[in-house]
Amino acid sequence: MTLTTSEPEIVHDILIVGAGLAGTWAALAASQAGVTNIGVLSKLHPLRSHSGAAQGGIAAALNNVRPVAGTGPRGPLEARPETDDPIDSWELHMFDTIKGSDWLGDQDAIEIMVKEAPEIIYEYEHMGCVFSRVPDGRIAQRRFGGHSAPRASFSADYTGHVLLHTIHEQALRHGVQFYPEWYCLDLIVEDNVCRGLVAMEILSGRLVTMRAKAVLFGTGGYGRAWRITSNATANTGDGVAIAYRAGIPLMDMEFVQFHPTGLYKKGILMSEACRGEGGYLVNGLGERFMEKYAPDKMELAPRDLVSRSEQTEIEEGRGIGDDREGIYLDMTHLGAEKIMKRLPQVRELALNFAGVDIIEGPAPIQPTAHYSMGGIPADADGQVIADAEGTPVLGLFAAGECACISVHGANRLGTNSLLDASLFGRRAGKAMAVFVKNGAPLQPVRGKPAEQSAARLAGFMADAPGEPESVAAIADALKDTMQRNAGVFRTAERLQRALTDIKALQERFARARIQDRSRRFNTDLLAAIETEHLLSFSEVIVVSGLARTESRGAHFRTDFPKRDDDQWLRHTLAHTNGADGPRLSYKPVTIFWDRYPPQERKY
Amino acid sequence: MTQNGTTRTATIRVQRFNPDVDAKPTLREYQVQVSPDTTVLDALETIKATQDGSLTYRRSCRHAICGSCAMNVNGKNTLVCNKPLREVLDRKGRATIRPLPYLPIIKDLVVDRSQFWEQYLRVKPWLIPPADVPEAEFRMTPAEVAALRDAEKCIMCGACYSSCQVVALRQAYVGPHALLKMYLRVLDPRDSAPEERLVEIGGDDGVYRCHTIFNCIDACPKELNPTAAIETLRKLAQKRAAFARERAERQQTLAMPAPVAPGAEMPADIEG
Repeated sequence: MTLTTSEPEIVHDILIVGAGLAGTWAALAASQAGVTNIGVLSKLHPLRSHSGAAQGGIAAALNNVRPVAGTGPRGPLEARPETDDPIDSWELHMFDTIKGSDWLGDQDAIEIMVKEAPEIIYEYEHMGCVFSRVPDGRIAQRRFGGHSAPRASFSADYTGHVLLHTIHEQALRHGVQFYPEWYCLDLIVEDNVCRGLVAMEILSGRLVTMRAKAVLFGTGGYGRAWRITSNATANTGDGVAIAYRAGIPLMDMEFVQFHPTGLYKKGILMSEACRGEGGYLVNGLGERFMEKYAPDKMELAPRDLVSRSEQTEIEEGRGIGDDREGIYLDMTHLGAEKIMKRLPQVRELALNFAGVDIIEGPAPIQPTAHYSMGGIPADADGQVIADAEGTPVLGLFAAGECACISVHGANRLGTNSLLDASLFGRRAGKAMAVFVKNGAPLQPVRGKPAEQSAARLAGFMADAPGEPESVAAIADALKDTMQRNAGVFRTAERLQRALTDIKALQERFARARIQDRSRRFNTDLLAAIETEHLLSFSEVIVVSGLARTESRGAHFRTDFPKRDDDQWLRHTLAHTNGADGPRLSYKPVTIFWDRYPPQERKY
Repeated sequence: MTQNGTTRTATIRVQRFNPDVDAKPTLREYQVQVSPDTTVLDALETIKATQDGSLTYRRSCRHAICGSCAMNVNGKNTLVCNKPLREVLDRKGRATIRPLPYLPIIKDLVVDRSQFWEQYLRVKPWLIPPADVPEAEFRMTPAEVAALRDAEKCIMCGACYSSCQVVALRQAYVGPHALLKMYLRVLDPRDSAPEERLVEIGGDDGVYRCHTIFNCIDACPKELNPTAAIETLRKLAQKRAAFARERAERQQTLAMPAPVAPGAEMPADIEG
């Protein structure tokens, strides 16, 4: 079969790829600023976007809630009388975020985020988000790891779902045009100017060149490169891989957060509440091993520390399960009543996905790849930059998990991701509106990019010399090597092994062919494209991690276990360099030395 | 079905259909290994990865929040991602997976939900807030929030819509999903257009079209109750002018602190 390309092309003032919180906020903000011709593509229906899976909350120092006086920071929470002194501030939120980032976050961007945070929560509220409330009607706030005050606004345990539906509805209200189930294949960038993109309508298999004055990527994270991940199947890092292929560098890709309580073998997230409510982590010998690693905080130590403790137990042979890669999360001592009242969703999850009733027995868990700190380098207005000097890629913007602004640095705090996606999505939308209204032209496109993309895809269906390789088998092998060699613990030896494996898999992939040869809704073809993306950015992750001979935040090198500010207080930029693999350059971290100088990250 | 320790072999029958080439849908059989933690989606993923790459279905989040993977398993609409396979296998270890019924088939298990989304758009699913917006939040009471809790959980998967016999007979009916969304808007004290909404859904293809067959309740994977929401909307539609006056009155105080009842508690899930 050959994929058809269609002319004429589709033209918008602004094109957005990805319809999660970042992309949809950008569309809404640009529309509110007066741009009427906005198109939003998503490879899913917009409401299926992974922003909707976020559970816990969205951070902002609203000061609605405080611990009861005299009960300490973990005491019961009460509404703060409005006439009392505030307990929280943007400065405190800023410090927590910087400390969480292990000082790799850019402090100018973090300052913007924490200062504008309350405003975006109120905007969500005015648009219809149903937040939980304190008795006098203010938005309730819960605690979250790494935050020194109760700061997370929430809707039960489906906060992201409620935010996503609300923002999507408002974008519809403002006449934003959605292209559901359209897949962006290529970005058209020439001479450092973005001119548009090539997309495929999944239903028909038709390829179209789409042109716009400004393009935004809000395509989400890249957690699917690991075998065990909490990420949706859609989170294949498409945006970062496409940008990289178009010559955009990728920033800090080595930083990926591993959450300590993913369900064993499935990776699906078991809420932070399991540990918050008093669950024990137990190894294969029945030992509550956190005694060894964090005798004071025990299971409540920060995510990265708990993940490393679990992984140590696993690698030293004290894991559970048939491959000994699991750990027990034991909640049986909490009793049926508390579990039914406080953790009903967790119980259902364990029942459905592990066949375990947590009232009767422990749930098997393991660290799970959860959040991608790295991505497409962008400034606080979403403007994508091409190098360490900050040269803009004209007309190209990025926001959300696919972007690296960088507010999370080496490690993200819980509830800062919904904030980041919403707030920088909105800022990018406003910036694009200004860009368009200031007279940005529709840039010419040379040649026939849709035909080039079609030719590339046709390769997956062409006759192969010899036995064709299976896309799924290659993806599996990649996830295995990333899991073993580029996971919670890394060493030069392991990363080198991963790199060798990836190179070999890239070669095998050249011979990969798909079985589905039809035009209509070809998910076999999509899986092949996505696997190509995984192979491309995984190399960047490994090369960037190999070069970074220190341990910082989520990047832990057992051969270099200390943070090294003299050498490594800087961002990695990986540039595409043909067959030679990525070429690395570095960019200084923005630090307000007088206010938040680097300190040891200690909890 | 063969037993082998904790794993066994199951027979999955999947309805296949590509309208470009097939005259009609057919069932195809696949054998998969099942362990206690295998879900229906896991079985489909295994078949696609190892036996037949052309098998086509939607899925994404894997834990019942994105709404992609509603299908019909053994005659019942469900999400497949959180459905344990062991629960749907018969005594011979067989299960049958078909696309959501009553909707046009795009390919295999992928259905065309256009009409479902058109009805969603038709009811204007977005909140229409008051003209005057406070600097901070509107003060909704915990009770007002609690009333909306179920309706806001809807993931728009289409399981209810495709089980509704009224939808099957009359495509103009707005459907349980859109009416549940209307319940969310009409009962929200921040919404300024309850009267217009009640007029719209009080018409021919709205709340009175529901025959209370309750299929939507059985089908909903989030255990929501669209029928009860429709009942409430019917009652409100009958006194919509009075309801609109109450709403206008409520909005006068919506930016002010809500009166706090003695002994009022913080939300139970604030620690979770």
